[in-house]
Amino acid sequence: MNAPWLKKLLPHPRWSVISVPYVWLLLFFAIPFLIVLKISFSTLAIAMPPYTPVLEYIDSALTLKLNLSNYLALVTDSQYFHAYISSIKIAAISTLLALLIGYPIAYVIAQMPPSSRNIWLMLVILPSWTSFLIRVYAWIGILKNNGLLNNALIGMGIIDEPLKILHTPIAAYIGIVYCYLPFMVLPLYTNLVKHDKRLLEAAYDLGAKPWKAFFKITLPLSKAGIIAGCMLVMIPAVGEFVIPELLGGPDTLMIGRVLWNEFFNNRDWPAASAVAIIMLMLLMIPILIFNRIQQREMEGRLT
Amino acid sequence: MAAEVSSGTKDPARADKVGADDYLRIVDIRKEFDGFVAVDDTTLSVRQGEIFALLGGSGCGKSTLLRCLGGFEKPTAGKIYLDDQEMNDLPPYERPINMMFQSYALFPHMTVEQNIAFGLKQDGHKRDAIARRVDEMLTIVQMTKFGKRKPHQLSGGQQQRVALARSLAKSPKLLLLDEPMGALDKKLRSQMQLELVNIIEKLGVTCVMVTHDQEEAMTMAHRIALMDSGRIRQVGTPDEIYEQPTSRFAAEFIGSVNMVNGRIEEDMADYVTIRSPKLEHLIHIGHGVSGFEGQEVSFAVRPEKLSIGKTEPTQPHNKAEGIIEDIAYFGSHSVYHVRLANGTKFMANFANMQRWASESLTWNDKVWVSWGENAGVVLTS
Repeated sequence: MNAPWLKKLLPHPRWSVISVPYVWLLLFFAIPFLIVLKISFSTLAIAMPPYTPVLEYIDSALTLKLNLSNYLALVTDSQYFHAYISSIKIAAISTLLALLIGYPIAYVIAQMPPSSRNIWLMLVILPSWTSFLIRVYAWIGILKNNGLLNNALIGMGIIDEPLKILHTPIAAYIGIVYCYLPFMVLPLYTNLVKHDKRLLEAAYDLGAKPWKAFFKITLPLSKAGIIAGCMLVMIPAVGEFVIPELLGGPDTLMIGRVLWNEFFNNRDWPAASAVAIIMLMLLMIPILIFNRIQQREMEGRLT
Repeated sequence: MAAEVSSGTKDPARADKVGADDYLRIVDIRKEFDGFVAVDDTTLSVRQGEIFALLGGSGCGKSTLLRCLGGFEKPTAGKIYLDDQEMNDLPPYERPINMMFQSYALFPHMTVEQNIAFGLKQDGHKRDAIARRVDEMLTIVQMTKFGKRKPHQLSGGQQQRVALARSLAKSPKLLLLDEPMGALDKKLRSQMQLELVNIIEKLGVTCVMVTHDQEEAMTMAHRIALMDSGRIRQVGTPDEIYEQPTSRFAAEFIGSVNMVNGRIEEDMADYVTIRSPKLEHLIHIGHGVSGFEGQEVSFAVRPEKLSIGKTEPTQPHNKAEGIIEDIAYFGSHSVYHVRLANGTKFMANFANMQRWASESLTWNDKVWVSWGENAGVVLTS
């Protein structure tokens, strides 16, 4: 085992540690991605699996057949375009709402004495410990016509007729914001709790009123937390299927439902794969921008 | 280690130029935190144009007092007047007071220029007026080349210059310095002390600084208030504090000192003698002292005021015989630790004026220490 030639042949021990995440990414990201990419270039067929092979070897001829019609359909059929736009719109508005609600929560927790901070953070995270599906179903119970909310409002005499919230886009927004709020609060909190209190004192000292000091000092310094929180909410929200399906109405069109329809109703795997690939591309752009910004900030700090 | 009393940095004509005697008045200020008294009924006056140091160990209340001036702490009782205007109810952003924070608190996301312009922008000045003032401040602190840099791209000394420029940009009536040299290394510290004083004096701004470093206070300040457990023990110029301490605390806090306890034996109008159980010979003071015969007093004398030699001085008093126990060599001078027969220890400084001492003293030598009749002070508290 100690022979030098063997040592040269075997990889350095540190590779055994580094390789774990790479193997993971290869098995559970790269390979599935390539499979989906391959299916997206195939043609629908009534067979098992329900698509034609892209690469064929028949009579000593290797043929690569790339079917672009799935992608062309995405461009020509406005239904897909609307679904993408609608998904991004719903995800963006939800992200904004989550930011507007999550920022004050994170800010207040960060201002608390260190001993009670963890308790409040726990309370933010605690709901995530129950099943996601149960929490979404609970919202049906709250929002439906004779649900908790409407009964309470009628009981207090504020409204006479029940508000129609369930199966409208509003219910979908409520559900998305509610489910993803912890992912907004946590990165914001981690950022805000590190802020140096003396910077605010310095701003007051130089004549800035508290609200102005917040907008000039605290807000810009929490930029990294805001970006991280928005990414964590926005990216899964774009592809969200369960919440709009259960809470949203027929006009809450999201790309997740289009995917579902293509896969399970039309059994059109190639079209569904193309939809998924384009969605991935749309999500990659903001991630890349985020990485670029972070890298630039890191470099600025080093020089 | 003896503090060097250096007043060379301060403009001697300065004392005549200062304005109103009570430009800043602190009247009976008291600050309590949950029953703990941080500042205890403190009264102080600071002259216009003066650099005033609050000096004391950690927890003596100096920083709390400074934060009360800045408006970051609300005094439990008492009043603060600046230029005859009451400050108590003004929030920090309405006070004509600016502070240079300990470790500076520069805004990390802003450039040097934006940092300096921040306070001016809050006052709603025109853009070109702000730009002109920022340039002016950068010139004063010699940072013109660094205006576009971010704070993390600057060295500690450069950050301090920016912090100073930022706190002076609004021409405050009062400048507060919180441990101004705390974040600098020793070499840079003495250089920046002089520079800071020069800039502050050039602009003529009244300044209150907080420091735990006696050398810093003595180098920079015109007057010093020595603080201990929330109270001011003595206020005076650096040489008054050093040469005429009014209490044992003051004598021991500043520099090093030899202190012996005794009783007044003769209390005359023009001289006093003190008998100490630790000394064989009488202590003779060449001037009157406010005390009475038989009163318990302490006699304090600085090491540099002692003479040390192998031959017995001719005077009948103010001398003691012992052996050299230790020698600390400081380059410019050496400190001899002399132990008397009864165990009492004296420190005597010996300036190394020649590269080879004519009368070399070494360990275990029998020596005499002696001092003049005006070398020490008599302390009753």
